[in-house]
Amino acid sequence: MSDLLERGRFLLPAVLLAALPFYLDAFWLRIGLFSMAAAIGAVGLGLLSGTAGQLSLGHAFFLAVGAYGYVWLAGDSGPGLPPAVALVLAVLLAGAAGGLFSPVAGRVKGVYLGVATLALVFLGHHVLLTADSVTGGFNGSSVPPLEIGSFAFDQGDDLTVLGVPFGAEERIWYLGLALFALTWFTARGLLRGRPGRALVALRDSETAAAVMGVHVARYRSAAFVVSSMYAGLAGVLLALSFRRVVPDYFSLALSVDYLAMIVIGGLGSVAGATAGAVFVTALPLLMTRYADQLPLVAAPGSGDGSIGPTEAARYLYGAAIVVILVFAPDGLTGLARRARARIARPRPPGPAPSDPGAAPRPPATAVRAKEHTP
Amino acid sequence: MTPRTDAPPPLQVRDVTVRFAGLTALDQVSFTVAPGTAHAVIGPNGAGKSTCFNVLSGLYRPASGSVRLGGTELTRLAPHRIAALGVARTFQNIVTTQGTVADNLMLGRHALTRAGFAASALRLPRAVREQRDHLARVREIAELTGLGALFDTPVALLSYGDRKRVELARALCLEPRVLLLDEPVAGMNAGERVRMAEVVREIRAELGLSVVLVEHDMGLVMRLADEVTVLDFGRRIAHGTPDEVRRDPEVLRAYLGTERADGEDAA
Repeated sequence: MSDLLERGRFLLPAVLLAALPFYLDAFWLRIGLFSMAAAIGAVGLGLLSGTAGQLSLGHAFFLAVGAYGYVWLAGDSGPGLPPAVALVLAVLLAGAAGGLFSPVAGRVKGVYLGVATLALVFLGHHVLLTADSVTGGFNGSSVPPLEIGSFAFDQGDDLTVLGVPFGAEERIWYLGLALFALTWFTARGLLRGRPGRALVALRDSETAAAVMGVHVARYRSAAFVVSSMYAGLAGVLLALSFRRVVPDYFSLALSVDYLAMIVIGGLGSVAGATAGAVFVTALPLLMTRYADQLPLVAAPGSGDGSIGPTEAARYLYGAAIVVILVFAPDGLTGLARRARARIARPRPPGPAPSDPGAAPRPPATAVRAKEHTP
Repeated sequence: MTPRTDAPPPLQVRDVTVRFAGLTALDQVSFTVAPGTAHAVIGPNGAGKSTCFNVLSGLYRPASGSVRLGGTELTRLAPHRIAALGVARTFQNIVTTQGTVADNLMLGRHALTRAGFAASALRLPRAVREQRDHLARVREIAELTGLGALFDTPVALLSYGDRKRVELARALCLEPRVLLLDEPVAGMNAGERVRMAEVVREIRAELGLSVVLVEHDMGLVMRLADEVTVLDFGRRIAHGTPDEVRRDPEVLRAYLGTERADGEDAA
């Protein structure tokens, strides 16, 4: 019954998202595509950092493994596999890369893992620049379009659906939507199931989790591997959307962007990671496009020393992050929860214990029990 | 999904010694918890009670000595393996995780369930069925411990006493054969203490498990325990039924601090 309700709740957004290519132009579709790809990666990082409490600064590395893995596996310089097979293998490759790191990921905890993963980003960037024959070096390489059967996800042959011409953006949109739906479905299954509870326990108290029967090192490694696989999938989708991969994109700044996404969205939930991903991806693009309409911002190229649209967008984006973290420390999901509670009961006379769903939940930090010191 | 039906095996602690950088926290401590009995470990602060529990649940590895559950040696096993053998514990400081009472209790089922990452992510039928079946049993345990009405309440909104009971219920969700309770009524008011004692008595009667209890509240110890081991400065100074221990001169000396031996002042 509740399962049925849940499915109904997701039907409307799904239909809306599926209808968008018929109404939006390529600019908006690209923003949507990048957001979906980022959301997949952010869900993965959220699982590791939000749920399991393990900091990772190496997320960009696993995105790169997915993106370049796909390009190489499907491309002419590599084995030239069918792109659909290359996609699956690229995700597994990212997972395997995460698995290779598991001797570290299983033992090192929290912030310390963050420092350890820092090395991965620099290592990855260096390899991408120097292994020319596989990666194309500094200039990167172009991404072979995905083909499933005889249907290609690029602008190739003319395709018109209901009077709307379907170019690359429109087609990849549905691929992105499918992959995002898969991510949503699997990540929520994980979080609400046995592994999710074990990871939360690990984050809140390692000793309690161990005493409860959780194999600490194995679960830490597994969280890292799963997170890497989502990053790999996000990498493939990003590569397909950009149609070109370059090493400089997969820098430390990208890892930090992903951390910003999960913090802004609200740690520990799939919806939070998604909201944060859309915010961090779409806002700078939108602001760059519309900043010249703000007061005090010069048109691009006027060069009279005033702020250009790109700088203005960056300032606004930074300010937006600060505002969210100050006024909604539990992220966009916390904000949405409070808004819903306020709409549900206009003047709450304090938390009602009979209806815990509507009562304001304390921020995640207050829930954390202290680590047991035996 | 059902409680374990076989009688718990005896828990034998033999000559366990634990040292921390020169400090001997436990010195040749031995006791046996007979199947289905309640055994209290008492002593003044710093006597080694919590250290003893940490050895039993595998968090500390003793320098020497053995802990056997039936025929299984526990001192070389990792905590999660000891849990899988049916040894559950609560903590002195409450350790609950984020989420509802149901989430916390389902965590207690971890050792009894199988669903891994792939099965849960893809929501395979067996993972879904497992979750549903175990949730039903967990609800029974919540009723048994008086948490039925709070089942879907976030733990963070509960009172101190209720959170203590969540810890107890979570330990019971392991369907333990041996239950280790580390100060189950510490910090509780009189009413909560009486209720907790009732709950512990009921679960013992209903589930037939062995209980090892560390507690400062002598009233609770005298009411619940079949046998008592008294520790002081890591050594066992007395052992017996609650009545015997209460009259033991060594115990009185340890608790009241009179006529201390010279050696103990130095320690």
